[in-house]
Amino acid sequence: MKSLNRIWRAFASTRVGQSIFRVGLPETSLGRMQAMVSSFILHLHPAKVHRHSLQFSYTLGLGLISLYLFLILCITGVALMFFYVPSPERAYDNMKDLEFVVSAGMIARNMHRWSAHLMVLSVFLHMCRVFYTGSYKPPREFNWTVGVSLFVLTLGLSFTGYLLPWDQLAFWAITVGTSIVGYAPIIGKKIQFLLLGGNIVGESSLLRFYVLHVILLPAVAAFLIAVHLWRVRKDGGLSRPGEPDMLVQQSATSQLSTSKTYGLMALARGTSLAVGIEPEDEVPAWPHLMFREVLLFLATMAVVMFLSVFWNAPLEELANPTHPPNPAKAPWYFLGLQELVSYSAFWGGVAVPALLLVALIVLPYLDRKRAGVGVWFARERRVALTIFTICAVAIVVFTVIGTYFRGPNWGWVWPWAQTATTSH
Amino acid sequence: MNKGDYPPATPATARAPSPANGSSRRSFIWLSLGWLASLFALAASGFATVRSLVPNVLYEPSRRFKAGRPTDFPDDTATFIDEVRLFVVRKGNTYRAVSGICPHLGCTVNAVPGKLPFLCPCHGSHFDTNGAVVSGPSPRGLTWFLVTMSKDGRLVIDMDQAVTHDKTLVIKA
Repeated sequence: MKSLNRIWRAFASTRVGQSIFRVGLPETSLGRMQAMVSSFILHLHPAKVHRHSLQFSYTLGLGLISLYLFLILCITGVALMFFYVPSPERAYDNMKDLEFVVSAGMIARNMHRWSAHLMVLSVFLHMCRVFYTGSYKPPREFNWTVGVSLFVLTLGLSFTGYLLPWDQLAFWAITVGTSIVGYAPIIGKKIQFLLLGGNIVGESSLLRFYVLHVILLPAVAAFLIAVHLWRVRKDGGLSRPGEPDMLVQQSATSQLSTSKTYGLMALARGTSLAVGIEPEDEVPAWPHLMFREVLLFLATMAVVMFLSVFWNAPLEELANPTHPPNPAKAPWYFLGLQELVSYSAFWGGVAVPALLLVALIVLPYLDRKRAGVGVWFARERRVALTIFTICAVAIVVFTVIGTYFRGPNWGWVWPWAQTATTSH
Repeated sequence: MNKGDYPPATPATARAPSPANGSSRRSFIWLSLGWLASLFALAASGFATVRSLVPNVLYEPSRRFKAGRPTDFPDDTATFIDEVRLFVVRKGNTYRAVSGICPHLGCTVNAVPGKLPFLCPCHGSHFDTNGAVVSGPSPRGLTWFLVTMSKDGRLVIDMDQAVTHDKTLVIKA
């Protein structure tokens, strides 16, 4: 470690080193903060961070885990693109090649698949965390809606992703999924036609979903993630109990009269000003925040690698446009939706999800009371907590029913009797 | 900052020889033309992009095709034609073409011998011999297509022409 330090110092003191790192390896608190501010990679961090925001029990690290999974997905996704041709003739063979011909190809595919599943889970849990700690309340309403959009994008990315292997699951999941789109009022059928590039899932559908999956949706997601993180900083960092009331403060500063002479060199307005924050509650982001970030990344990576080494991403038979498998099941996170559409395609596939989405988006604009921000399950928020919990539990229950209690022809089966009906 | 540090602002009237509101009829026309042209260019390019994605030609199986001689289909059975996903149902000398695509969410229904004739594996919709819904989430029955006879004695099925559930092709011997 010492010799590493010496090498670093020697490099940092050269002309080249100085041109890259304006500030050397920081040794004082001031230096640590300068390092944060002057580095492009690091400047997303605050120079100092509140102790409360570092508590793992408060955030559970879910936002960061989602970000890391997105990065893993981007990198493994690019790796997979070298071996994939989006055509019905070749896509399925490419999957087989990744498994049996390409060295470590299966690891890349497994990492991509399991990271995608984990990301759906972590983004959902992140949303629950933000709700249960009241962190969507002013001044963070807008960032909540950005987060909801990112949740929808995550589902969209996974949905477009699983047509690509061109197996039975892929083909029939997309047939069912785009048919649900067709139930949307007025423009549903037109959007369905546009998505598929025809009347049936075929060559042009595969190409369209490929482009959506590898360029369009990731680009939008990356942009929104940047906005999301930037807003976390601009909205005053993570929520915490007893944080200064930003809205009140903002209106006070904006009413500063210009007729008076001030000795300030600059006027800062709103949330970035460290007013009412006890400096002893803050620690430099380097090393306190960065250490936790690196640790969390390594943990995320370890889990993904563990899953990828021991479990292979499923691949069903080659897509057969004539006959769906029986039962034809979507991946687990869409089985709640599939259970709903088995009652009514319009209500289950369009109306209920759309209503839930609208409810999520308007939530922070309706529930504006600042009580209970920064605390898990605050008592003052009993009504909101109950409503949200009922919806979340309903989603989980429908997902469990769709996953374990549905057999051939979507008939009811008991999970322990599964062995008798699995052959299809 | 002291107010006196800055030079006083030039009054608007001293800068422009136009009327007091700062704009003339000519500049208004040019300005609105400019805005209209820019917005039109933006809207047109957006429309063109989306329109280009709506296919004009589909490389899909033909929606109107010859299905074969009437005698090719065994009596009292539903024969499935793979490429177009439909059943040709023969009862004596009557023929009809019943779509095999479940109107619920597009899965292919199966003809189950011994049970109700048509059953969707995806969400469990049941249909009777005529394709009407017996149970399950399907909002309507299976579509019937127009069946005609070609001059060379083959059945012609037109999937763009749906017919009501009483129209069958009757071949007189």
